[in-house]
Amino acid sequence: MAAPGPRLRLAVAAALLLLAGAQALAPSHRLTGRDLARLRAALERPFADLQAAFHSIVGLSNLGVRVADEKAACNFIKSNVDSSSVDSLFYAAQSIQVLSGCEVTVSNETRELLLGAVSEDSSVTQIFHAVGALSGFGLPLASQEALSALTARLSKEESVLATIQALETASYLSQQADLSGIVEEIEDLVARLDDLGGVYLQFEEGIETTALFVAATYKLSDHVGTEPAVKEDQIIQLMNAIFSKKNFETLSEAFSVACAAGSLSRNRYHLPVIIVPDGPAAVSHHQPVLRLQVTNVMSQPLTQASVKLDYAKSASTKATVLQQTAFALSGDTFELNFMNVKPASGYYDFSISVDGDKRFISNKVELKVKVSTEVGITNVDLSTVDKDQSIAPKTTRVVYPAKAKGSFTADSHQNFALSFQLIDVNSGAELIPHQTFVRLHNQKTGQEVVFVAEPDSKNVYKFELDTSERKTEFDSASGTYTLYLIVGDATLENPILWNVADVVIKFPEEDAPSTVQSKNLFVPKPEIQHLFREPEKRPPTVVSNTFTALILSPLLLLLILWIKIGANISNFSFAPSTIIFHMGHAAMLGLMYVYWTQLNMFQTLKYLAILGGVTFLAGNRMLAQKAVKRIAAEQSSRLAKYRTLR
Amino acid sequence: MSGAAGSGSGSGAGAAGSVGSVVRRFLVEYGSGTPSRLKVLDAYLLYVLLTGALQFGYCLGVGTFPFNSFLSGFISAVGSFILGVCLRIQINPQNKGEFQGISPERAFADFLFANTILHLVVINFVG
Repeated sequence: MAAPGPRLRLAVAAALLLLAGAQALAPSHRLTGRDLARLRAALERPFADLQAAFHSIVGLSNLGVRVADEKAACNFIKSNVDSSSVDSLFYAAQSIQVLSGCEVTVSNETRELLLGAVSEDSSVTQIFHAVGALSGFGLPLASQEALSALTARLSKEESVLATIQALETASYLSQQADLSGIVEEIEDLVARLDDLGGVYLQFEEGIETTALFVAATYKLSDHVGTEPAVKEDQIIQLMNAIFSKKNFETLSEAFSVACAAGSLSRNRYHLPVIIVPDGPAAVSHHQPVLRLQVTNVMSQPLTQASVKLDYAKSASTKATVLQQTAFALSGDTFELNFMNVKPASGYYDFSISVDGDKRFISNKVELKVKVSTEVGITNVDLSTVDKDQSIAPKTTRVVYPAKAKGSFTADSHQNFALSFQLIDVNSGAELIPHQTFVRLHNQKTGQEVVFVAEPDSKNVYKFELDTSERKTEFDSASGTYTLYLIVGDATLENPILWNVADVVIKFPEEDAPSTVQSKNLFVPKPEIQHLFREPEKRPPTVVSNTFTALILSPLLLLLILWIKIGANISNFSFAPSTIIFHMGHAAMLGLMYVYWTQLNMFQTLKYLAILGGVTFLAGNRMLAQKAVKRIAAEQSSRLAKYRTLR
Repeated sequence: MSGAAGSGSGSGAGAAGSVGSVVRRFLVEYGSGTPSRLKVLDAYLLYVLLTGALQFGYCLGVGTFPFNSFLSGFISAVGSFILGVCLRIQINPQNKGEFQGISPERAFADFLFANTILHLVVINFVG
């Protein structure tokens, strides 16, 4: 009972490791040989100024390449250095560190200038360049004061670039000073990275900043001796982002990528490993060896590593065919003869791990490997089977690649049948490829019909042609057809197109089409005429004019009746309210006409409100006066009636 | 007997001529009993009626296009007729007991106002 504790812990640890390995991100981008050549070409431009010289010289040294003409470079630096500019001194100091036998003399004033630049009042860039220049020229520097100036300045400038430059500055300071504050900035910067789709990790400022960050992080970590606080997956994502850029617009961009490449291939903590197959990941009997290139990010082979196959499983059956086998180093590549285990053809999932150095990361990879083989056709039997089954079938055996002599007939009395078997030539096992087609090609009309041959339970392929069932596919066109057998698969090295025989197919006469019309989809279709909306049927103008005249006749009748009744305007009083009322009313009627011809409802309502108000007031006054007159008349008539009654 | 026969024949002849005599009687009573103001209004109502009937007949004969114009004209006739009838009812001195608070002048003002609104809508719709 004492054992389960540690054993359980071991099991859990192993499970976690397996899980971590299974879910680790694989690098998607690296610097191939061609990318390296392009990067070198970008860096090897003739020097435009001292900064360009610095980028070229130091960038190339990070790639492990020396400048072509070191003496000329040295002279260029000596003649272009500006002793009054801190930046210029920085570029010169860093460049001469890389070039061998290059010395620049530094005067006392220059030294004072540089020491004076290391203060809280200069920007982080100035402090960085001053410290770098002092370190490059081998001049003494008070690390603690520099550190305090840097920290004070960094709290004011919070940009990503300033922080990265602070990291680089700290890598020049002595270890006696407490650099842990600066080292903590690495974690803060990592938090500011943007995750793009889980594959890339970069700063929003761009690839150059991201690459400079990687270089500065490893430089500082190596200097201080603590592992950088960046997770393995994050390193892979940073790598993907940085090395996805294959063309460099500016020299500084190329320089930053070169620095990142150099630091990722030579630091004390993390070495990303790139495992790619050499050529296509396919083996066959002609090519039984699987070759792998195991390199660092700069495509330099890691010949010290030990590469092991953890397991190889068949993708379809999931059976393990090989496990725990080592790859052998041959030149710059690692190889394994997979055909030794005599695998069946198909796809296999390989899990490969690379060990040998504690610093390796992304050192487990899953590959899909194809095993190809050659197919052979055996037991090919062509027969004509009588429908009534009264006559025994006539079978002819054909051997690939010969063609059957004589022709076979399929008509209403007999069917044509084909059976064959497909085997793996190397192992003798039966194969079921993806494509087994029987193609019938009409020699006269050019029609072709393709059928699929299917295997039965014993893996024997059978194909039967019944003319009555298949007449729609053939369009009932009788004639001589050539029969081809087509066999293909991704894992076959010898796809087959075999003219097996000629078959005469006779369809019943009444179904024969007149001509075989090839459907041409690309002729212009008949034009569609647009039907415009037909105007409504209207009566002739005469009719409507007559009616308009007719409709005015009741008005005439009205006037006649009114005259007959004796309607008059004798009571018309010319009081102002009466006149205003009648004019207002006439104006309202006129407004109606204008509304019909010109205005919209809103304008009409506006005018109507004005006119209506005026007319109402006038009319009110007028009608009140009439009412008064009427009441007075009624009273006087009542009074008269009263008097007569008395 | 003769009286009954006479009344019978009279009623038979009267039946044939009763419609005519009723109409004549009505016309006589109308002419004498109706104030001239109402007669003027009645003439107006007859005019509106004829106009509406003519419009309807035209539509039946020739077709309904454009339908909105026909509708607006017809509704104008119908609406004016109804408002005229309302005015006649309110002005009629025999109905004075039912319209205590509404003087003839007020009725006329209402008539004008309602006609204004009706014809505003009609002109909007005639198109």
